[in-house]
Amino acid sequence: MEALRCLPGVGPKSASRMAFHLVERDRVGAERLAHALLAAAEGVRHCRRCRNLSEAELCSVCADPARDASLLCVVETPADVLAIEQATGFRGQYFVLMGRLSPLDGIGPSELGLDRLEARLDEGQVRELILATNPTVEGEATAHYLAMLARERGIRSTRIAHGVPMGGELEYIDGGTLAHAFSGRREV
Amino acid sequence: MRVELEAAYVLHARAYRETSLLLEAFSLQHGRVGLVARGVRGARSRTRALLQPFQPVLLSWRGGGELATLSGVEAAGPALALQGERLLGGLYANELLLTLVARDDAQPALFAHYQALCAALAAGTPIEVALRVFERDLLDALGYRLLLAQAADGSPLQAALRYRYVADEGAHPASGVDDGVPVAGASLLALGRGELADAAARADAKRLLRAQLERLLNGRRLRTRELARALLGGARGEPATSSIPEGAHRR
Repeated sequence: MEALRCLPGVGPKSASRMAFHLVERDRVGAERLAHALLAAAEGVRHCRRCRNLSEAELCSVCADPARDASLLCVVETPADVLAIEQATGFRGQYFVLMGRLSPLDGIGPSELGLDRLEARLDEGQVRELILATNPTVEGEATAHYLAMLARERGIRSTRIAHGVPMGGELEYIDGGTLAHAFSGRREV
Repeated sequence: MRVELEAAYVLHARAYRETSLLLEAFSLQHGRVGLVARGVRGARSRTRALLQPFQPVLLSWRGGGELATLSGVEAAGPALALQGERLLGGLYANELLLTLVARDDAQPALFAHYQALCAALAAGTPIEVALRVFERDLLDALGYRLLLAQAADGSPLQAALRYRYVADEGAHPASGVDDGVPVAGASLLALGRGELADAAARADAKRLLRAQLERLLNGRRLRTRELARALLGGARGEPATSSIPEGAHRR
């Protein structure tokens, strides 16, 4: 029970429910879970190229020859890669920052390992850098910094659009998002 | 203690546990406060966008001590769309406030200066001028006012003379002393008026203010400065002048 409590949001009560379920009703599931956890804890590492979580040296995206290496999408976390993969038809490659520039927390370019991204840009394959950091103050600062890195190398950089969520109603949207959506309007 | 709808700005927000944020806010009547905002990071949160720096807000909280609990937030105006170097300039001001202003120390005048800085950054005032004026006002609010109208001996400053500005004393004629920051009289007067029109005045003001801030920082590093330096150092071909004073000279 104590071991299950390392999961986020699992307190003593939920931990005991999970433990009883696994031991009393689902021994097979418990063994599968144990094997999967062990394999993940031993085998998962960061992809050499994009730093996404991967079991192999190169993740499946970086290893796929059909992906377009001239499009590089920069995101903050592995969860962002998953979200983009599931929701969009993006066929380029990724670079995972594993964080964002946050000077007030002491996270600067060297703490983020941006030299790896610079090296990637210097390889010369990338034609467009897609900045998909979060629309927070730190995400914007990060995007600005990365755009400067790209500009210096003559690489086009684009920022993902921010706006009204699908199925949303303007009335309930916060002012900042609405202002962004308005200033970023485009011709139809 | 309960505080209702207090005018404030979030200076910094960081993730806390699963769905909460730890906020450092700067408020009109209560100065800098630490707040915990519970459950605002969820997918359905409506308040997340308001709890960003450079968004004027009205905050309500209860509790005291190190961390109070946020109980409400409303927008007090449109968020300022700061981008690029202006955003960095704003973050630099936030870091100064976080580093130099103590918690729970009411600073209504400084709040007004911060508001003016945000407006200036959003309105397109040259970043350097906006930041220098804010630094001047910050020193003033912290009790380290610069003497920008009179020399150390009480005589009016002469625009045509060269001075050396000695901390806690003021400007001495350059021939009289060896220490202090060398500045032109015209630059001191321009900083006093908040109009740094020419490059020489800006450079003088930057050196002068940096020296005074360094004393208060007492060796602490400003990370936004380092970021601005990395940005300018990395971006070759860009003009190599940062509006944010750097801790050490490059080259």
